[in-house]
Amino acid sequence: MVTRAAGPDISVRIAGLTLSVPTLMGSGCYGSGEEYAPLVDLALLGGIVLKSVTRLPRLGNDAPRLVPVPSGLLNAIGLQNPGIDAYLATDVAKFADRPCAVIGSVAGFSVEDYADVSARLAARDEIDAIELNISCPNVGTEGETFACDPALAERATAAARAVTRKPLIVKLSPNVTDIALIARVVEAAGADALAVINTVRGMSIDVDRAVPRLGNGSGGLSGAAIRPIAVLAVWEVARAVRIPIVGQGGIETARDALEFILAGASAVSIGTGNFTDPRAPLVVADGLRAYLSERGIASLAEIVGRANPGYLGPR
Amino acid sequence: MPGNRAGMPALGAHAAVHEVVACDRRAPNPGIAVVGFYAPALAHSALPGQFVMAVTPSGERVATALGIYEAQDERISLMLAVVGARTQELAMLEPGARVALVGPLGNGFDLDALGDDVALVAGGVGIASLLLPAIRLRERGARVQLYYGARTAGALVDAERFTSIGASVSVATDDGSRGHHGYVTDLLAREWRAHESIAACGPSPMLRAIGRFAAARGVRAALSLEETFACGVGACWGCVVPLDRASAQAPAFPQPAPGERREYVHARICREGPVFWSDELRW
Repeated sequence: MVTRAAGPDISVRIAGLTLSVPTLMGSGCYGSGEEYAPLVDLALLGGIVLKSVTRLPRLGNDAPRLVPVPSGLLNAIGLQNPGIDAYLATDVAKFADRPCAVIGSVAGFSVEDYADVSARLAARDEIDAIELNISCPNVGTEGETFACDPALAERATAAARAVTRKPLIVKLSPNVTDIALIARVVEAAGADALAVINTVRGMSIDVDRAVPRLGNGSGGLSGAAIRPIAVLAVWEVARAVRIPIVGQGGIETARDALEFILAGASAVSIGTGNFTDPRAPLVVADGLRAYLSERGIASLAEIVGRANPGYLGPR
Repeated sequence: MPGNRAGMPALGAHAAVHEVVACDRRAPNPGIAVVGFYAPALAHSALPGQFVMAVTPSGERVATALGIYEAQDERISLMLAVVGARTQELAMLEPGARVALVGPLGNGFDLDALGDDVALVAGGVGIASLLLPAIRLRERGARVQLYYGARTAGALVDAERFTSIGASVSVATDDGSRGHHGYVTDLLAREWRAHESIAACGPSPMLRAIGRFAAARGVRAALSLEETFACGVGACWGCVVPLDRASAQAPAFPQPAPGERREYVHARICREGPVFWSDELRW
């Protein structure tokens, strides 16, 4: 197990949350955290974004749900989850002695879903913040509708904002014409931070059988393949809003994370990178400290947005 | 950490990231490699039928899930079909090379439930997950017969390892170059002799056929499923199999929403499996 190295300050404060390290574990990639607890000391992570929960239980999509593709992974899980009732009774309860920040993720199919589920999740002491997943690409067209339509993105955000004072992070979709426009609308509706980006829609076809490989047909692409798309999205959003950004999309190393940070992300999220190597978040944190200390920089906050001349920065 | 959802198995107490050293390798035929590792903790804790996720030095996107082939003293080995860049990289590991193996993972075979006379059925490199069960079953005094199928005689590897521990071995090849000419499932039906149970690993069509065969014979079949894993630890829900809602495990999983007409739930192959009783699956 990689242990914490001494070094410069890489703690960050986003949306009222203080993270000892700037690494969140991406929703859907880290389960509820307990799955990785035997492999990684969770106290060395900034936080875990739990798997998204919906109002009703969901069986999720039929298999196959995963297709490895060059430099990435296509998935179409379809928001399998026990529904908010069972989730509150069984899953959330295990975080009373949480070793790092725990962020609940809410998915929905209506504005009312986002309000109800956010309210119930945020009411729990074990949950430090809410991430609004308005950008799941794998539940027909319904899931992503909210992230792709400014009016709906605004309503979902406002509905969640109205029911909690806990930090509210809204996860944006890259599958839009102008992500900066959506970012501004979501900021105005009361988001405290933005997660940029969710997966990029994609498909792989089995040419021998002449059918799509995923049970759902289309899926969401993650991994290194989408990193340049994600870095640009962070760059554009960072010039449009004055709330913190959590950058994500194919981060596996500290240098990957630095691209996002220099583009304007205050923190980063690691998802698929954990599948390559469960030690990835620890390697990233150690690498960030090394980068800063080699350059005599005291804290990570100093370099956020440094590569981006139009970076506005959080208020 | 606090416990799991009610009814769900905990990740094995011994699961960890093991930084191990490759110590030997051989290629029983050009398409298959057996790579040995000095890995005392894994060797001591691995249960028959468990697997590891191999983190290759080049850091390919998804770690490779591999059944633990041998585990003795301080060494384990992995048998792999060399089918792509990742498996090629593992197959070419020089002695002394360091890699990380995450494991042991999954449930493994329930040897108590398999009983005293067990038919093992292997398809291709599915043989990799059956040697340890065979060894442990023989140590318990169980009768073990291996039914082993592959495309050609050259693709049948290490059958003598099974005979050396006192298991009977019958083989089948698709091209008839050795043993029964045809599928191993046909061989199983032809040579069946009132075994108490079946334990099988191989391609999905073979496992489905074995499930039907077992049901017809009134015995239980423990099937070790193969699937693409991403996390390997139950976090991502990418490797699911439909489980009958009537099965004992089913209540632990998300149920169909009201109005959803599906009579199954989705269990994770990497976590609840990779070994499932065929009569619990709806696939």
